[in-house]
Amino acid sequence: MSQSLKPYLNAVRHSLNAALCLESFGSEIVERHSYPEVEAGNDPLALLNPMYISRNENEGVLIETSVNSVRMSLRVKQADELERILVTQFTRFLSRRAEQFLILRRNPLKGYDISFLILTTHIETMMKHKLVDFIVEFMQVVDKEISEIKLFVNARARLVAESFLVPFYQ
Amino acid sequence: MSQELLEYHNVLLKSIFTEAIVDQQEPVKIDQVVSDFDNVMFHISTPESKTKILLSIVLKSWPDLEKYGAKELLKAEYEGFVTETEVGYNFSLLVDLENLPCSTLEDRTLLVDKLSLLKRNAMAAPFELAFQQFDEMSKEAQQFEIGSYTPTDAQTEVMAIKYRDEETIYIQPNWDRVTIIFSTGFKDETDQVLGKVFLQEFVDARRRALQNAPQVMFSKEPPLEVQRAGFNGQLRPDQSFITFVLFPQHIIPQRRERAISHIQTFRDYFHFHIKSSKAFVHSRMRHRTGEFLKVLNRAKPENLEKSTRKI
Repeated sequence: MSQSLKPYLNAVRHSLNAALCLESFGSEIVERHSYPEVEAGNDPLALLNPMYISRNENEGVLIETSVNSVRMSLRVKQADELERILVTQFTRFLSRRAEQFLILRRNPLKGYDISFLILTTHIETMMKHKLVDFIVEFMQVVDKEISEIKLFVNARARLVAESFLVPFYQ
Repeated sequence: MSQELLEYHNVLLKSIFTEAIVDQQEPVKIDQVVSDFDNVMFHISTPESKTKILLSIVLKSWPDLEKYGAKELLKAEYEGFVTETEVGYNFSLLVDLENLPCSTLEDRTLLVDKLSLLKRNAMAAPFELAFQQFDEMSKEAQQFEIGSYTPTDAQTEVMAIKYRDEETIYIQPNWDRVTIIFSTGFKDETDQVLGKVFLQEFVDARRRALQNAPQVMFSKEPPLEVQRAGFNGQLRPDQSFITFVLFPQHIIPQRRERAISHIQTFRDYFHFHIKSSKAFVHSRMRHRTGEFLKVLNRAKPENLEKSTRKI
């Protein structure tokens, strides 16, 4: 793990831990309803200050908190065209499986690559520290995965090009 | 490494003819349409009797190829087999199994190889022509002092073969090299990006490891040769050009045949590897998604209980 990654992930871990203190909160507008306040945004009193943690200008996490829900959006490093394509493919892949991922938001927030929405029910049915573990591991693995795939594609391209050119002079 | 490369012949043609000519199995009735790369179709049939096999080929680029002598080349290559062209096709061969010109097993194998290379031989015409021009010009050039020889425009005419809807091969002979340019395009955005990565490696390969390899260049703008060939100027944003420069050492007579076969497989080879890389990326992401799901499921207490009970 590189020097700057560890403090970044640590900061995200602690901030998430602090943000995930959720409680059931009935809507103050419609009786007997309960909305994720961070999404609905009907009630300014239910919203808390959002937080932005960034590693550099291309990588960052936005944590928006409310009384009964937390929305966390992630921006993944995309150094070149190939990485950009890989990230888009990967996030699309995950978003299509949002149903199974429970906390995954189908569409990312504008300007981010992937978003999670954590509700009170999630906190009640799952262990909070494991949830935080999941998100931190996710951030770590996505980066690694993208760079590994990129290396593979480049290595393959190199081999392919060389083996095509050899028969011309052998 | 050579097993990763594509074969030059058509596999289906080869297997049909191997059964009929090499193994000399009982003649059967055949009526098959076989498609090959680059909008090429074969029709293999036995219209008269089971022992007479008619093989016809249709190529999208036939008008171009014919202009550069494909018909004469095929006639010379398949002497004794050429027959009246079947309706709807560009060229036909008739193989009479009862009167084969060759008797030994070795000869028959060679004949099968030759027949299954029909597409390659049809596409070879402009390349052969270009190499001939190159021979003539390099001979002429020897009579001049170095650097003072300039061939006429007619000698270095750019030949264009429109072998697919939006892709063309351009061939230009010169006195010290033969230039072959492929125009290529990708509709899919991912293919475009991967294609760029692959093409870049083709360009770098010579600089890095293979000093003797042909020079490869890659550009978004049409090269001068292409502009001379009357490029119509409608350039799609995903289109690019890849240039192979074959130097005299690549077209010495003993390498010539292979160079022609090999350069023809470039597009298929290149596209195959792009698709295959995509498949790899896809399966890897699928695997990774499964792993993520496992990590998330660990957060559910009921799963934890179940797993402890098992122990």
